[in-house]
Amino acid sequence: MNEREKNASIDYILARGLVKPQRARERIAEMARALGLRFIFWDTGYSLLFAAVTVAMVVAVFAFTPRDYRRSAAVGAAPLAFLIITLFAEVSERASGLYELKQTCRYTVRQVAALRALCYSTVGVAFTAVVAAASASGAREFASLFPVCLSALFICAVLGLSVMRFIRAQWAYAAYSAVWVSFSLTFPLALGQSWENALRDAPVALSAALAAVGAGIFIHQISRMLSEVKVYAVAS
Amino acid sequence: MLSLHNITKNYGSFTALADVELEFSGGVYALLAPNGAGKTTLIKMLATLIFPTKGEILWNGDDIIKLDATYRDIVGYLPQDFGYYKNHSPREFLLYLSALKCIDRATAKHKTDELIEVVGLSDVRDKKMKKFSGGMLQRVGIAQAMLNDPRILILDEPTAGLDPRERVRFRNLISSLSKDRIVILSTHIVSDVETIAGRVIMFKDHKLFANDDLAALCATLAGKVYETDDVAAVKTPYFALTEHQDNGTTVTRFVGETDCSASARSVSPNLEDVFLYIYRDGAV
Repeated sequence: MNEREKNASIDYILARGLVKPQRARERIAEMARALGLRFIFWDTGYSLLFAAVTVAMVVAVFAFTPRDYRRSAAVGAAPLAFLIITLFAEVSERASGLYELKQTCRYTVRQVAALRALCYSTVGVAFTAVVAAASASGAREFASLFPVCLSALFICAVLGLSVMRFIRAQWAYAAYSAVWVSFSLTFPLALGQSWENALRDAPVALSAALAAVGAGIFIHQISRMLSEVKVYAVAS
Repeated sequence: MLSLHNITKNYGSFTALADVELEFSGGVYALLAPNGAGKTTLIKMLATLIFPTKGEILWNGDDIIKLDATYRDIVGYLPQDFGYYKNHSPREFLLYLSALKCIDRATAKHKTDELIEVVGLSDVRDKKMKKFSGGMLQRVGIAQAMLNDPRILILDEPTAGLDPRERVRFRNLISSLSKDRIVILSTHIVSDVETIAGRVIMFKDHKLFANDDLAALCATLAGKVYETDDVAAVKTPYFALTEHQDNGTTVTRFVGETDCSASARSVSPNLEDVFLYIYRDGAV
């Protein structure tokens, strides 16, 4: 840095003052205020429609699951609302010709995607609660099944956000979704009743702890997505 | 001031740009080079879409990566392939991008209407963009780039694909917007550069080759450019630039390293001559 640049830098800092780095919670509040629901979900109507139709089909299939495999089905179905909504939104965003342009705005497309993921996770938790309630025959069973389903949801969400953060290929999230669905079908199909028993016998404390850790990592990922710049380059 | 220090960008083992040193202080800068020379790579680095493998880009002495949103606040960017929402009007689209640029709603409405007026789209401001011509879309593109009144305006091949009338209109628009800001224009259309650029930056072999004003670049070929309708009469080695028809005869324009005034008439070099001569071996 030469003398002229150094002086310009000092002038710039003096003019701007020392600014405290913004925390993720403050950033989310600021973005939500500035964008509003309309612009957070701008042009995601088709994605949400496709996601709703797909989730409705999943629910229909889920309703016909034999009673003996309700836990396996619940754990498999719980993350699907989040996965599918995020999938359609992410793929349509990345395929859009505006991806690069939006990445150069103050609120980058990745930051908006993080904000959306946070909203979708709320939908995911609600859907998980509905799935667990529909599968459980009483409050006690719900209390043991819900944390297991939540664990599945947050493992799926954390892996999905990692794909969004670190893999730049346009179809990366679609590939991840396919892999997740394949894995979630493989366990019950390959292990059958043993998988169902393992889910039934899982200690509540363990599954609740796993769900809590998953939620913590998910929030951390969202926070990273809101603040990091360099890993969000559009092309390598 | 925007300055690039020792910028290198590698894609695996391929070097797209090597050791580039540049300073931008104000006015229109044209990045002129053939396709594949590294113009878009540089543009994307300036727009923080990709990052240098080596070196740093400083805005008033601060690294643009560390400046983060503060830098993006002062940048306006028009990408080469400007995507748009077909089913939205320019006004809706600009309001959306204003929100992403964190411009408050009242200012955004005012600024959007003002820019739609500036780019001459007032009549169609509430019409869906799916029926817009290429030139109209580019004007929407320049309007969105100007929303935050940027100190740095980055335009990647903004006139590619436009008809001559739209090109002239667009060039005039860029020219009028270039006051009090840095405009960095990537192009391989020589006439655009001749018309609006104050400074021309050229790359060769993925390195900075020239960074000068138009007159100085043309002066490098002063006294070496000739025209003749009988090129066979030129006995010294020459490099043919262009040919055109004049009253039924083919006039050849060429560069002669030695004096050819006996067999051809000397003409003033232009930027196209310089461009063709620099990239004569197909090098980018």
